[in-house]
Amino acid sequence: MFPRAINSLPFQVIVYLCLLAGVATAGVNYYMTPKYTRVGYAPIQPVPYSHAKHVGELGLDCRYCHNTIDTAGSALPTAQTCMNCHSEITNSSPALATVRESFQSGVPIRWVRVNVMPSFVYFDHAVHVNRGVGCVECHGRVNRMEVVTQMQPMSMGFCLDCHRAPEWRLRDKKDVFNLDSQPIAALRGREAALRFAQDWNIKPTQDCSGCHR
Amino acid sequence: MPNAAEQTSGSSEALLEVKPAELPRAALVGGNRSLSWITDKICGITEERAPAWWWWCFAAAAFVASFTVAGLTYLVATGVGVWGHRSPVNWGWDIINFVFWIGIGHAGTLISAILLLLRQKWRTSINRSAEAMTIFAVFCAAIYPLFHLGRVWYAWFLLPLPNSNEVWQNYRSPLEWDVFAIATYGTVSVLFWYVGMIPDLATLRDRFHAAGRGLRARIYGLLALGWRGSNRHWSNYEMAYLILAGLATPLVLSVHTIVSYDFAVSLIPGWHSTIFPPYFVAGAIFSGFGMVLTLVLPLRALYGLEDLITQHHIDCMCKVLLATGSMVGYAYVVEFLIAWYSANPYEGFGFINQAFGPYGWAYWVMIGCSVAVPQLFWSGKVRRNMVLVFILSLLVNLGMWCERSVIIVTSLSRDYLPSSWGFYSPSVVEIFTFFGTFGVFAVLFLLFIRFLPIMAVAELKASLPEAGPGARSGLPLAGSPGHARRSYGLMAAFESPKRVLLAAERVRDAGFRKWDCITPYPVRGLDRAMGIGRSRVPRGSLAGGIAGFCTGMVMIWFMDKLDYALAVGGKPFFSPLFAFPVSYELAILFAAFTTIGGMFCLNSLPKHYHPVLKSESIRRGTDDLFFIVIEKSDPRYDPARTRALLEGLGGAGIAELER
Repeated sequence: MFPRAINSLPFQVIVYLCLLAGVATAGVNYYMTPKYTRVGYAPIQPVPYSHAKHVGELGLDCRYCHNTIDTAGSALPTAQTCMNCHSEITNSSPALATVRESFQSGVPIRWVRVNVMPSFVYFDHAVHVNRGVGCVECHGRVNRMEVVTQMQPMSMGFCLDCHRAPEWRLRDKKDVFNLDSQPIAALRGREAALRFAQDWNIKPTQDCSGCHR
Repeated sequence: MPNAAEQTSGSSEALLEVKPAELPRAALVGGNRSLSWITDKICGITEERAPAWWWWCFAAAAFVASFTVAGLTYLVATGVGVWGHRSPVNWGWDIINFVFWIGIGHAGTLISAILLLLRQKWRTSINRSAEAMTIFAVFCAAIYPLFHLGRVWYAWFLLPLPNSNEVWQNYRSPLEWDVFAIATYGTVSVLFWYVGMIPDLATLRDRFHAAGRGLRARIYGLLALGWRGSNRHWSNYEMAYLILAGLATPLVLSVHTIVSYDFAVSLIPGWHSTIFPPYFVAGAIFSGFGMVLTLVLPLRALYGLEDLITQHHIDCMCKVLLATGSMVGYAYVVEFLIAWYSANPYEGFGFINQAFGPYGWAYWVMIGCSVAVPQLFWSGKVRRNMVLVFILSLLVNLGMWCERSVIIVTSLSRDYLPSSWGFYSPSVVEIFTFFGTFGVFAVLFLLFIRFLPIMAVAELKASLPEAGPGARSGLPLAGSPGHARRSYGLMAAFESPKRVLLAAERVRDAGFRKWDCITPYPVRGLDRAMGIGRSRVPRGSLAGGIAGFCTGMVMIWFMDKLDYALAVGGKPFFSPLFAFPVSYELAILFAAFTTIGGMFCLNSLPKHYHPVLKSESIRRGTDDLFFIVIEKSDPRYDPARTRALLEGLGGAGIAELER
């Protein structure tokens, strides 16, 4: 009923299944995790605003536009903030047409969100930036970006990495908004970073209800 | 002690003289049937065209099943809010139906495993369909916990897989134990079912091949993994099957125990009770046997299986219902006693509330159907009335469904704080989903009776009283005196197990090493006649069991203590106590894998091509004849002399096999 060659079939099936399982595991591990699906996301924004020019070249502070970040949480600038300067500088540039329109009508600009935190996660910027976690830890070198790009996976594992061992990511208070600065552990060693964590009472929560409130 | 020796020899002589009376035992197969009759009867169901009633039932079942599909689709599209769960009743029909179906699933493994260990041979005619019922019931049960997650595609979070969240499961929770218990139970049940079916699939393969239906022959052939009824295979197979039964027995007891922990480990009055494990197991067996009767009685009538499922079988099942139903009734009484004796006002109120609260009707249906109904089986008249037995078996399952409803909903709706009391009624989506699962179950069961052997053919043959001489008269096989071009060896047929036993002893004594017997069922004593020692399968099982237990312990220690130490309810990060249920399930799972894997390795199966399978006479070898095959590669083999030896032993149809 079956040819002689079929006797090697079970062995082949096992070998191919193992290969398939290996490839599938590797594939899922790479292509189906936020490291691949999220990092590198760089949507086109309604205004071609260059962080590289404003922050990198002109030295604007993060908080000039994201002005409530250390007190109330995340903030996107209103058209008014742009117009503070652009009513005088390049005030007829076609790139700024959307900003002028929003300024006159009072309808906010529809910025495209880059880093999406799911609604079941409680995240507060203020507590992080006020305790020495620099912007650069999550957002990368925004001062070099023409288009804002997601730099970190923002997965739960990414959060927990830091919450489990915060000492590697802490900076002096003066360096928090300096995207070119180095963390304490890199400058003065882990001991110093641990001392900083103790002095500033930095004990990040690992409870489920810390973030899933 | 010479005295004792004398006594025994003396008593055996006395026994010979006295001729003790044979205890009258009910025949397991009625009507004095032969081996080939059983093959024809069971395989015929698969071979003939589907009867009209099958198509009608299948269409109806598929229609009913569409209700589950509709209910679940709506749930996934909308969210779990479409079910009627509201605080405080956060578990409703989903968990009721889960426990209900899992309970039904218990009879299959009980019949296959525990009754095998207890040498209850009447199990042979119902074990295959009961095992199928188990698997399909576990499938129906698994729908509920998965879909009550809401986002069913995240169900893999329940399994210990590395993930981007960098979290591990909480093994201190009985819900996580449940994941392992149900998964192990499902897997081992499927393996047990399939391994038990391999010889029968081989029979079907050979019959379809002989009938010239090539496609079906190939499909069954692939599934039969090249089984050829070799006695060297039977030896390992029987050992593996026995060990699987030994593994499945603690498994079947542990599964419903762990299901009961879902409740007993919590603090709700009416749940927090140590009587739950034994009482849940008894209830599960009770409902499972109810379902077996519900399924088997129509099958028996439709296919005319009265000689295979005799009145004796039905009596036995009714008596199991009577025993387990009485155990469940006893547990109901003891629960009240405990509530009163503990002097705990909440516990006391909980039980008064069960009987006389807003859900009191469910309690009385439960008492009526699960305690009163099985008492009718004391009467032989009731047990002989098939229509009545069928109706009573339906009532048993109604009662058991109400029991789960009483435990889950009544207890949750009124706990410690009257201010948080609530009332639960199922939404239409829940009703649709539950109604539909009967269709899902029926669709699967109908496919099973259509395409697979519904009874263990080989096992039934072994239980025939005349598994002695004269199984079927005549040896119509024509031998061939010629030589095969590339010879594998000689094959000779014998008409009865007794003949083949005698012949095997002679072949063994002649000093042959590379030879085998081909038998349709494991013939008792043939291992010794062939000089085969005890199977080495158990070593693998032991190693697998130890490896599984250690894997469980180390895995939980690594996950919950080392890698993701999360304080939950003030419990320790690691303790062998809470790690035990999962390690226990993994020990059984790994042992089952190594048992079956070891059996296949020792038998060097799957081997779909084999000279014996090429021979035309194998069709009788998986049906009703017995063969001896002596290989050419044996140093004592000589074409003429070996042929003469086989002829001298009474072998018929001697032919040379081509390689």
